[in-house]
Amino acid sequence: MGRMSGSHPSPRTLAEELRNRPDDDLSALLRSRPDLLNPVPSDLTQLATRAGTRASVVRAVERLDAFALQTAEALAVAPDPCPYDTLAGLMTGDEEASGTDSALRAAVRGRLPDALAALRAQALVWGPDDRLRLVRTARELLTPSATRPSPTGLGPTVAEAAAGMSPGRLQEIVTAAGLPTTPDPVTAVAALTSLFEDREAMAALLDDAPAESHAVLDRLVWGPPYGAVTAQPAPHLRWLLDRGVLLPVGARNVVLPREAALHLRAGRAHRAPEPEPPALASATARDPEMVDRTAAGQAFTALATIDELLKEWDLGGPPVLRAGGLSVRDLKRTATALDTGVHTAAFWLELAYAAGLIASDGEADERYAPTPAAEDWRQLPAEERWVRLAAAWLAATRTAGLVGTADAKGRTLAALGPHLDRSPAPEVRRRVLALLGGLPPGTAVPQDAVLARLRWERPLRGAAQATPDAAPENGHAPDHNAAQNAAHAAHAAPQDLRSRIALWSLHEAELLGLTGRGALAGHTRALLNAAPDADPAHAHRATAAALAPLLPTPLDHVLLQADLTAVAPGPLERPLADALELLADVESKGGATVYRFTPGSVRRGLDAGRSAADIQSFLAAHSRTPVPQPLAYLIDDVARRHGVLRIGAASAYVRCDDDALLNEIMADRRADGLRLRRLAPTVLAAQAAPDALLEGLRAMGYAPAAESAEGDVVIARADAHRTPPRTAPAPVPDGPPAPDTTLLEAAVRAIRAGDLAATAERKPGPEAAAPAPGRLPRTTSAETLATVQAAALTNSALWIGYVNADGAASQRVIAPVRVEGGFVTAYDHTADEVRTYPLHRITGVSELADDAAS
Amino acid sequence: MNGPLIVQSDKTLLLEVDHEQADACRQVIAPFAELERAPEHIHTYRVTPLGLWNARAAGHDAEQVVDALVAYSRYPVPHALLVDIAETMSRYGRLTLSKHPAHGLVLTTTDRPVLEEILRSKKVQPLVGARIDPDTVAVHPSERGQIKQTLLKLGWPAEDLAGYVDGEAHPIELAEDGWSLRPYQQQAVENFWHGGSGVVVLPCGAGKTLVGAGAMAEAKATTLILVTNTVSARQWKHELVKRTSLTEDEIGEYSGTKKEIRPVTIATYQVLTTKRKGVYPHLELFDSRDWGLVVYDEVHLLPAPVFKFTADLQARRRLGLTATLVREDGRESDVFSLIGPKRFDAPWKEIEAQGYIAPADCVEVRVNLTDSERLAYATAESDEKYRFCATTASKQRVTEALVRRHAGEQTLVIGQYIDQLDELGEHLDAPVIKGDTSNAQREKLFNAFREGELSVLVVSKVANFSIDLPEATVAIQVSGTFGSRQEEAQRLGRVLRPKADGHEARFYSVVARDTIDQDFAAHRQRFLAEQGYAYRIVDAHELLADEGA
Repeated sequence: MGRMSGSHPSPRTLAEELRNRPDDDLSALLRSRPDLLNPVPSDLTQLATRAGTRASVVRAVERLDAFALQTAEALAVAPDPCPYDTLAGLMTGDEEASGTDSALRAAVRGRLPDALAALRAQALVWGPDDRLRLVRTARELLTPSATRPSPTGLGPTVAEAAAGMSPGRLQEIVTAAGLPTTPDPVTAVAALTSLFEDREAMAALLDDAPAESHAVLDRLVWGPPYGAVTAQPAPHLRWLLDRGVLLPVGARNVVLPREAALHLRAGRAHRAPEPEPPALASATARDPEMVDRTAAGQAFTALATIDELLKEWDLGGPPVLRAGGLSVRDLKRTATALDTGVHTAAFWLELAYAAGLIASDGEADERYAPTPAAEDWRQLPAEERWVRLAAAWLAATRTAGLVGTADAKGRTLAALGPHLDRSPAPEVRRRVLALLGGLPPGTAVPQDAVLARLRWERPLRGAAQATPDAAPENGHAPDHNAAQNAAHAAHAAPQDLRSRIALWSLHEAELLGLTGRGALAGHTRALLNAAPDADPAHAHRATAAALAPLLPTPLDHVLLQADLTAVAPGPLERPLADALELLADVESKGGATVYRFTPGSVRRGLDAGRSAADIQSFLAAHSRTPVPQPLAYLIDDVARRHGVLRIGAASAYVRCDDDALLNEIMADRRADGLRLRRLAPTVLAAQAAPDALLEGLRAMGYAPAAESAEGDVVIARADAHRTPPRTAPAPVPDGPPAPDTTLLEAAVRAIRAGDLAATAERKPGPEAAAPAPGRLPRTTSAETLATVQAAALTNSALWIGYVNADGAASQRVIAPVRVEGGFVTAYDHTADEVRTYPLHRITGVSELADDAAS
Repeated sequence: MNGPLIVQSDKTLLLEVDHEQADACRQVIAPFAELERAPEHIHTYRVTPLGLWNARAAGHDAEQVVDALVAYSRYPVPHALLVDIAETMSRYGRLTLSKHPAHGLVLTTTDRPVLEEILRSKKVQPLVGARIDPDTVAVHPSERGQIKQTLLKLGWPAEDLAGYVDGEAHPIELAEDGWSLRPYQQQAVENFWHGGSGVVVLPCGAGKTLVGAGAMAEAKATTLILVTNTVSARQWKHELVKRTSLTEDEIGEYSGTKKEIRPVTIATYQVLTTKRKGVYPHLELFDSRDWGLVVYDEVHLLPAPVFKFTADLQARRRLGLTATLVREDGRESDVFSLIGPKRFDAPWKEIEAQGYIAPADCVEVRVNLTDSERLAYATAESDEKYRFCATTASKQRVTEALVRRHAGEQTLVIGQYIDQLDELGEHLDAPVIKGDTSNAQREKLFNAFREGELSVLVVSKVANFSIDLPEATVAIQVSGTFGSRQEEAQRLGRVLRPKADGHEARFYSVVARDTIDQDFAAHRQRFLAEQGYAYRIVDAHELLADEGA
């Protein structure tokens, strides 16, 4: 975009400038500030108005990078409008000044047009290069005031600081500064200002100052520019006060006026301009192949862990706390089951939750359980399972890193519980990975470098969010007992949310296998490189294809050993793994799995319906080595005793002291359906349910009586516990979703069309006339907003129609003071007090004739 | 990427022994990983902080360890594990104990925060003196052992560079006439001597006494040898007289019966730990001479009080000898900090492969109890259950049958319960050695057994330790100290000494089926199996049927 071309006459308003911008620029504006699109503005005036609202400007300013922000800050302390050269001077400082790095100055000079272009693209700055204007709201936001010092450390201008001074005192100062007296305060201020801005004259003035005065100035020059003085200032302070180099603010305080500070700073608005993003320095180059393998190994571990979690919760997971989430004890238990620490376990849980694999079952005593989707997930090939997890993680706004920390109200945040959503998370995650992705393959950088870069990209966003989450944070240090490490991490742990999310993201990316030893893995690149509008399925396929060859292929054999262990020297095919898990206990996991056969585990296998011969042949078939004698012996020995005691499942029984009667029933063909079995002369066991048995026997002409459930043997197989169909939690993004190209094009077309309609000259129709007396004024909402804002600027009064919450309509005369967030705060002449009105309840506005306002 | 090693998340390492690189891999991981199990196909090593510190003490650095893992691993090694290893290893050596010309013993650090951290500990405060400079603090020489123990517990093991006193010199030479130290013994002596102090791990029957003798010949100084019991003490004396230039008169025995203190003194743990009126009256033994070397036999049995005394002996060279670092009481860390790191280790199977110990055939004989015995067992009090099933008449019969089967071979019957042994002795017409058998009688019987005059000997657990019965080819275990793995190893050791005719040794365990006896046996045998001694299980009735045929 660059500087404005001279073909258009210099625009008078932002709307006018926007009108002259090409459609592509409008699209870019709407893309970077999607909040302007909701609802689609009807014309450019409305778009410009909306772009100037405080909420929207704050949002846009927060998204500026450090240098663009510094440029905006410089503009805020520059005269309005500001020529480009003045701005450049503020950013680079005086040409001849010593103490500034000429390379830095060149960098600032080189990067400034880009920063300005970025501000223009965001519609924060408008106007041609000789008349740059910062949008008024942004200027208010960034201009220093007594309550909110500017990040530049500059104070108010001489004119602002001297506003309340008596003309006499002003003349004294002018005289003390060695200037001729002037006719009035305005000219006095102007004379003083131009003295301070004149480098040579100012230098000459300050040369006479006592040394202590210089010390005072040195303290104030880079801000904060305010200092306290006593009623009887010391001579060196008095010297400065007399010459207006310090101006009084209230009774006790003084301020260094902006012009004087700029002189002392050699014209620089910022002490350290940051034109270039911090380099991702001290990169370690690792073998990309090794990185990919490590990441794939970790990806495999991630899959195994999630799989294990699902198995662990297969029969129903832990209960849901009343306030939502998992209790600390259940989290610890899960961590133990997954053989990991609490923080890592929370991450796996949140990951499974985000991927829609686990959820609460929604029953009366709510518990967590795998979802039906988990079943489908488990059937997928490993690489696709991983892609699902990775995609869910990238998009999730829930942050596992917060688990265990306290929120602003001191409540501990539970895993899977509420209040874990942090809107910036997906953006930060992608950004962190994209930063790593921008490096050559296999390159790892220290996390501090990544954090520094992120801070540069969003300097305000981090700081603004720092306070609400300042709760003590145990850090997301690795779970192993490296106490020293943890202490180290805690020491360096940043407090702002974005940095914390970035740290978590780096750690979690490693856990999930998106990165390997700190470098981005090849398969992750495929996942991240997807174009924003492209079908994600395509990228997912590419990722899966890249990952698949790196994952270990499942084995179909184990090694059996005489110490009653079986070692699977790699991942096993699922049926084999399932069978072994039944027959033996898992002793150690990792790349390989060690199973141990015990009498108990063999019994479990027999219980599951396998015979000893069956087990022997199964082991022989899947073992690379002969089945050791002690193992064969163990199986036979357990089988020998297995089943000596017999336990059967019966749904109901028939008891009768007369065995002849039971003989009769057994002989009756009609009883076949009841599947009766004689256990003892006087007892029959039935597979039919008690009520069915009762019915059946009654139908056969007997008169059975039901017995109480006491003594009844019901062996119910525990059923897998599933939630009803559940959708994964929808991410909660910050602000409206990024608009796609189609929407943007349509929106720009609509705005243009609306604008054409609004700005076309037409004959005044009858509606345009003032409303009939007694009727409420009617205007469109855009007009209402524009008129009210204009009135707030000009301090003029308006006549409005207003419908209150009960639906009662009234007419009021108000003088708007502030228009913000859909409300207008105004002095209500009708009620004679300051009130706030929602804009949407105002039916219309009409400007008052000048004489009526008084 | 097809190495022989698989790194597990619980820090165990699985080594596939049939892999072509298995030997090379074993070489590089042995310094830092403890061999835990060595069954036939996959050996399990465990990486522990102690193991890593052992490696650091032996001069290996984290880089080597990580390289070894990465180079031989079949799958990517979890990054967290590598970080953890580097972190753990870097903890060793940040604190060093050394001699200061002016202040005596000092603790120095290369990392000031660590020193601050440990000085803050309540346990360390009483052990240290004045702060000499920001990185150095004085330590009272008498607390040298204590502070090492404490620092290890805090996770910051100190490297002891304070050196040793030479002790009173005494000429000792190995008398290598017609024999010489085996290569691994030589290696063990060298490793120990260069390390200063430490533990040598060798399987039973691999000649640990000779390693002790070798160390003494290096030290050439007065030596205190601590052994488990009197018989063992005599054994040491006998062996030293035979293998070194020492004469009978130079070697003293300090036990319940004799209190000789000579240039080389052999004392029993028993006498040292005897307590009278709350004091240990025999402690002065440690100070009675200026010992240049202290040898601890069977370190894994070292009683707790001896650790305490040892803490005060840190200026003297210490050699620990043992078959296994596994202690049933889990005080491995005290062995590390007070006696020293592991200096040499050779797995059982390897020495067997070199032909220095005999191969063994381990057989578990399962005995069916009779119905009445089963009923009695089921109704026995729970604390009597083991005793009951371990001493059933059915077992006696099977044991007797086994002895008959191996008639003519040197057979040891080992048991726990005296009345069972007495009964067996009576039935087998064999002498019984138990706790109340006098030492003279014991030695007489052992000699007779050695000479072949006796072919069957029934022994109680007094024979567990350090007696040398070279010609025993069959051992029959009828009962044991519950599930003690270390006892099993000792007993197996009885038959592992090389036989003159290369005959295969047999080790029988007679076990009552379906009882707690079987569970204990399983626990003990797991150790055997993990050492690579595959055992067979045989039903008693099959065995007896064979006999009948």
